[in-house]
Order: sequence, then C-alpha cells, then structure tokens
Amino acid sequence: MQRRRIALAQLAPRLGRLDENLETHRRVLVEARSAGADLVVFPELGLTGYQLQDLSGEVAMRLDDERLLSLARETQACSAVVSFVEEAPDHRLFIAAALLEDGEVRHVHRKVYLPTYGLFDERRFFGAGEVVRATSSRLGVPLGLAVCEDFWHLPVPILLALDGAQVLVNVSSSPGRDVAAVNEVGLGTATSWRALMKTYAMLTTSFVVFCNRVGVDESVTFWGGSEVIGPDGETRFRAPLHDEGVFTVEIDLADVRRERIVLPVLRDERPEMVRRQLERVLRERAGGGRG
Amino acid sequence: MTEPEGAGRAPAARPADADPLFELPPELAIDTRVARRIMVEFIRGQLRQAGFERAVLGLSGGIDSAVVAYLVGEAIGPERLLCVLMPYRTSSPESLADAREVVDRLGCGSRTVDITGMVDGYFGRMDGERFEPAALGTEGRDASGLRRGNLMARMRMAVLYDQSAEWHGLVVGTGNKTEVLIGYSTHFGDDACAFDPVGDLYKSQLRQVAVDLGVPERIIAKPPSADLWPGQTDEAEVGFSYPELDRLLYWMVDRRRSPEELAERGFDPRFVDHVGRMVARSEFKRQVPPIAKLGPRTSGVDYLYPRRRPAPTS
Repeated sequence: MQRRRIALAQLAPRLGRLDENLETHRRVLVEARSAGADLVVFPELGLTGYQLQDLSGEVAMRLDDERLLSLARETQACSAVVSFVEEAPDHRLFIAAALLEDGEVRHVHRKVYLPTYGLFDERRFFGAGEVVRATSSRLGVPLGLAVCEDFWHLPVPILLALDGAQVLVNVSSSPGRDVAAVNEVGLGTATSWRALMKTYAMLTTSFVVFCNRVGVDESVTFWGGSEVIGPDGETRFRAPLHDEGVFTVEIDLADVRRERIVLPVLRDERPEMVRRQLERVLRERAGGGRG
Repeated sequence: MTEPEGAGRAPAARPADADPLFELPPELAIDTRVARRIMVEFIRGQLRQAGFERAVLGLSGGIDSAVVAYLVGEAIGPERLLCVLMPYRTSSPESLADAREVVDRLGCGSRTVDITGMVDGYFGRMDGERFEPAALGTEGRDASGLRRGNLMARMRMAVLYDQSAEWHGLVVGTGNKTEVLIGYSTHFGDDACAFDPVGDLYKSQLRQVAVDLGVPERIIAKPPSADLWPGQTDEAEVGFSYPELDRLLYWMVDRRRSPEELAERGFDPRFVDHVGRMVARSEFKRQVPPIAKLGPRTSGVDYLYPRRRPAPTS
C-alpha cells in the first residue's frame, strides 16, 4: 500500500486580488496539511483570477518573489501545486503552475498551449511555454504538471508519461458552456473534459488529478467538477459542479504498478518511431516533399 | 411537440399529461438545473466583483423580468431585490397585476412609479379633442408609436438608474437572447443594465427556466408583449413566432449554418434572409460605441481591463 492523500482546492479566486488569493491559498494549504494531505492542488491562475487582460503584468510574480516564496515555506513535509502569472527575467509573462515542496519552489510548468479562439484570448497576453517535463516529488513518484488547454493536445499527457510521470496533474480555469439537455451532466464542457481525462488515464496508465476553479470572472462561470481518475480509467472521486470546497481523496500508488504490468501500453509505446514519423511529417509540411 | 427526456422539469403540481404551456423546439431543450445554477452564480459573482449586495430591476409583468426577479431572489435573497413597476397610462392592467403577483410570491421589495407624467411631459397629450402640447410643442401630437415606445423605455431606464442609486443596488438586465440578436429592444432603454443573466437564453429556453422556477403559469403562457400600446404583441410586430425564430437563430448563430444549409434544413429562404438582416442591422446595439483612436492607449481598443478591478496598490 502506497497511500497518498490529495486535497483538491476547488476555489473561486478573486480577479486581480493577488494578496487576498495568497491569503486564501495559505489558509487552505495549512488546513489541508494539518489534515494529513500529501499534495494540495490549486486551480489555474488561482492566485490571480483568470480574465486578467491588461492586469496580467500587474499581478505577475518572478520566481524569486517573496510572496511566492513565503507561500512555498508553508509546504514543510507536503507538496502543493499553485498557479499564477510568472514573469521571466526577460519580462515575458507565462501562465505557470509550480510545484512547491518542503519549503521550496521545486518545479515550474509554463502552459504550453494558449487558447486564442472563441471566448479565449490568452496568446494576446501571455507567452507559450516550451517545455513538457515530469518532475520528481516527495510523493515518491514523478508528477506531470499541465495547465487546462495543455490537455486538449495529445502530446502533453504522453510526453509526461514517457518522461516518467505516474500522476498527471491538470490545473484549470475551464469556463462552463453549452447547457443543452442532451449533455451527460447538463454541461457540454464537463462532458468533453471527462472523456479526455478518462482517455489519458487509460492511455498513460497514470493517475489523472484535475483541479478546476469555480466562481465567475466577467461573463464566464467556471464549473469546478474537479476529479481524480485511476490508471484504469475509473473515476475515483468527482467534486460537485460549481460548489466551492476543498475535497480530499486518497489514492494508492500501487494501482499504477498493477495497471502497468497488466496493461503495458506505455512500455510498448515507440517514441523513436514517433520521432521519425514526426520528423518526416514536419519536413513534408514545410514543403520538403515526400521522401 | 415532444420534449426530450431530462429536459426542463415541470413543477410537481402540474400533471405530466397536461397541455404544454409553450412550444419547445427539441434542439433548444436545456438542462434548466445547470442553467439556473450558472445564472445564479453569475448574479452573485457580478455583484461581488462590483462590491454590491443589492439589485434593482424593472418588473413588467412579462416572463423575462419575472424570471430574472426569481433568479436574483434565489441568488441574494428577495429582501435585497427591489422591483420597480413602471406603468404608463395605456399599459394593460393585467401586466401590472401579473407584476404584483410576482412581487407577492417572491416577497421582494417593490415600488410603483407611473411614467405617464414623464412621457406626456415631453410629447404632450390629448385632453378630449384638444391637444395639450408639452416640451416638444405641437410636433408631439404626431409622434410615431416607435418614438413614443422608445421614450417610454428610456424613461423607465432613467427611473431604474435613479432607484438604483437610492437602493444601493445594481440594475439587472432582462433582455433575452432572441431579442438581443434581432435587436428587438430600445438602445439605452430596456437594454441598459449593469449585467444581464438571461441574455444567452432564447425565449423558448427562458420559458423552460420559468417553469422550473415556478413562475406563475399565466405569465409563462400569455403572448409576450412590449406593452407599449394596447393589444401589441411581439410576435405580431416582428412577424414570426418565437419557436420558429428561436430555431432559426439557433442554427444560424450558434451552429453557424450558411443560408444554403438552412434552406436544406427546411427554413424558408425569405425568412432566413429577413432574420439575417435584422441580426446584421442590430450589431451596433450589442457593442460598446467605438472611440476614435488618437492616443497611445484607448478604451476598448488597447486599454483592456476587467469591468471591475481592484485599485492599484502603491
């Protein structure tokens, strides 16, 4: 038995109020830690709110920002994933998710896919991350961090799993839309996300941990529905839609081992073949013609 | 007309085999439980972001403002809602009675402000056979129904914003998606508001929500009317029924179908053309007026902030 307790902080951040959100994070983190949580996961841009527009530069933090470091100091003997606007030393702004552990900023993932269509306008305000990399963690297995739209692109979960991640953590600010009666849970967005996450859990034989915010920014209402899915694709926990709350889920990391031995699809993945084919496709797409 | 399973639940008091209160095109069926939750969260979120705890709206006796009143009541409690009833001398007494029933059922605050003096003080009025001119002079005698209707809507807006200052509440809009898309509203009149929780619901969908909320059946079933003159109904004025209009708008706007594809779906090309023009012609009503770009940073162009934002800290 390798049990770990994961706390999903399904919060409603206040738009643009960094100090207030920092305080909420600190409080939830301390409470969850004393309740025995090994990992506390906060939603995308939980420290700033989502629809920032020109506020993006005003709420940005460098990785050596004292406010971020002081939040990290609350993670003695536990881990947390928090998300904020990161300002790089060269002043590019990124949507970042950071793994805080044992008092330090252990790893930072910059959102690699920035939706700029429909109701989204992220590329206008942010730079796109270039790196997808698993990170070791005090949970005992590597984690893979991703932010919202990163999970609407197949390469992200597979790269993280190939890099060793056994728990994929997606933090989101997903706006709920499409209330057509035909949808499974009355919300098209939730239906799509559940299909994606179940698929990734099965194909990577990993745990998928999804923390989505609630509350309202401008026109959009975020739907929550945070979730933990086992490496067999079965939902282990599902938070209610739209309710703010901190939900604790216990997982057994031994499930990953069991599943990967029974169903060794990750072992049978063929990255070299994929690379060769990708190189060919890229060559041809660039006008190189068929070899 | 059949309603798909799981669509807008009817209130328990209503037998399942009763005649439906309204016609619902199947593709417009929504999960009213989820829609209601989103709208309630939206109302709370908007007020919270703006730092207000109270709300005010114009209650006409029609379904749209009744639904919004119920939603606001659910979001913040009816005691924080002020409904303003604003009849004109030609308004139908039934409208006022229906509005009063909503107020009674909800237990919200209410206030009646008769706008007759305001409107007649501009256009003038007939005293028997004799015209008594007012601010507009003799021209007021021949003012069209459109001008009168628009002024009534704008007087109501002025009253609402005055009441909003006194009540310390934000003005909640009541325009539905159908009227927003075809522009069936008075600009800076009934479309003026701080936020609109029902502007993405077609009339047919709003009716489903109304049933779910327990809005009085008479309000749901009666023909929608702007009540700007006696006997007026929306459907007679616009020329189409709401179910057919809603269906067309859904396929045209939400599902992005071309006129050819709409014709294949059985919509009369003349109907498609006519409604397409109404939508295109009213684009300006759905947008903030443009500002001439002169400086380095211009509102709405390259000065983009959330509508409510915290003051910068030094």
